[in-house]
Formats: sequence, C-alpha cells, structure tokens
Amino acid sequence: MKECIKVKRLLSSYLDKETNITDTTIARLHLESCSFCKEELLRFSQVKDSILKKKRRALPEDYMLCRLQVELINEQLREKKISWLANMGNLSRRLIPVPVTVIVLSLIFLILSSMQQTSRYPLEEHILSGTQTTTETALGVILGAQN
Amino acid sequence: MNEDLLCIEQFLNGEEKGFEVLVKKYQDRALNIVYSIIGQDRESEDIVQEVFLKIYHNLKGFKRKSQFSTWLYRIIVNTVYDFLRKRKNLEGVSDDSLKETIATYPCPKDVLLMKEREAIIQKALKSVPLKYRTAVVLKDIEGLSYIEISRALRCSIGTVESRIYRARQFLREELIRLGGVI
Repeated sequence: MKECIKVKRLLSSYLDKETNITDTTIARLHLESCSFCKEELLRFSQVKDSILKKKRRALPEDYMLCRLQVELINEQLREKKISWLANMGNLSRRLIPVPVTVIVLSLIFLILSSMQQTSRYPLEEHILSGTQTTTETALGVILGAQN
Repeated sequence: MNEDLLCIEQFLNGEEKGFEVLVKKYQDRALNIVYSIIGQDRESEDIVQEVFLKIYHNLKGFKRKSQFSTWLYRIIVNTVYDFLRKRKNLEGVSDDSLKETIATYPCPKDVLLMKEREAIIQKALKSVPLKYRTAVVLKDIEGLSYIEISRALRCSIGTVESRIYRARQFLREELIRLGGVI
C-alpha cells in the first residue's frame, strides 16, 4: 500500500517517459504486480490520449502576417500622430487659440451684421407707408439710403 | 546556428523576411496553445497577434542563451495570463462553447459527436486550474519535455511534474463527470 502511494505519484511522469532510471524500475516492477496501479496508469493514459486527439487548429499561411502588417501600419500612424504633437513646440501649442479666436470673432461679427441689415428693412417700409415716425429715425434712414 | 537564429539574424539586419518565416513557422503552435488554455477562437487569434507584435518589437532584446521557442512559449504564457487577468476570469468555466457547438452543428451524426467530444475536452480543460492547465497543454498539445516546460514557465522540473499530475487528475474527474470521453 505504501508503495502504491509512491508509485501513484510517479505514474503521470512514467507515462511521459520522464522518470529517471531508478523510478522507472520501481514503477515497472510495481505495475507488474499491482492491478490497482495498472488501472490507474490506464486512466492517466486515456486522459493523455483524449488531449492528444484534440483537433489542432490551423491558420491560413499568410493570415497572421496580414494581420500583423495592418497592425504595424496602424502603430506607425499612431506614432506619427503622437510625434507630430510632440514636435510642436510650446509656443506653437500656445498660438493655436489665436486663429481659433479670430475665426470665432469673425463669425460673431458676420452674424451680428446680417442681423442689423435685416432689422433695417421694417423701418424703411414703415417710413414708406406714410405713417408718422420720429424725426431722428426717419432722418437716419434717409441719410443712410442716400449714402 | 539553428534555423530560428538565422531568421533572427536576418531580421535584425533589416530583412523582414526572417520575421515572416518565424511567424509562419510558429503561428499554429501558438494558436493551439492559446486556444487550449482559454478556449475562445477570436480572442485566441488576437492573443497570437499580440504575441508576435511583442516579438517584433523585442527581438533585439532576445538573449540567445535559450532557444527562440522557449522565449516564445514564455511570451505566449505571459500574454495569456495578462489577458485572463484583464478579464478577471482566471479560473472561470463557461458552458457557452459546449452549448454553441451542440446547437450549431446539427448535421451528420458523427460530425456532431466529434464536435461534441471536442467541446467536452475543451470544457474539461477549462475546469483545470490555470497553472496546471498551462503545464499539461505545453506537454500534451505542444509535446514539450518537462525540462522545456520548466524553462518556459520558470519553475523546477519537480513543479512541472506535480502540475501535470494534478492537471490529469482534474481532467480525469471532469471527463468522467461530463460523460463518457473516458
């Protein structure tokens, strides 16, 4: 029984032919006389067989290479992007808000001036309709029209 | 100088061809190891891609003290462990693969049986604790010797021996429980 416990621990490596000469001899001699350990060895070998018989997966020959090429190109692009930002000096990064502000201000100016233009037409129509209006407003509109 | 080292030399001298040969040679081995450990097809391919990217970037740092394949196996194992750590799924067992296989292959009877058997083995493998599973996969799927496994996993031969023994015990119980592969 004591030997069974010892041999049982050896069975897995015995099956893989990884035991040293002494252990191999011990295991072999014991297995000749012990049906319980023999049965145990058989079960281990069935487990090993079932894993060995497991279907192996295979990729198309160039599949991984294509994936790697795409990934390496993406990496290079990412690096370029990062290095472009890194190459921009502090001054240039600080100057970025200037054109942005100029664009925003010009947009605001354009919107406001177009609003002013649209608000002039009702007044002119009002004067032309002949109804009374204040002198200052009427004069302003007329002078504006003359200019 | 062996073939792998020649390819590495070639690559380090600026010829991508050397790297391409290595990828073609090892892609299926890497895939089978990864798939046997994690059991998910698409993720396995992503992990293999990550492994080869790491190799591409770090080949300069490869010390030729060990074989290229040992270095590769170490990278594979580390990348798989990182992936599983991220997933917080270290010892998780999912029934999905089994259900999926049985549901999507309702055609000829023997094909179904084969797929079912495949799924059962994969499920049994997934039930084995990760460290034991890795050792048994390197042994039985990749056919490495105990000494090669000990180098890849950076542990003693005794540890490898005991991990494989434990893995097979787990597998035996699980295969019997899942019904009839043994």
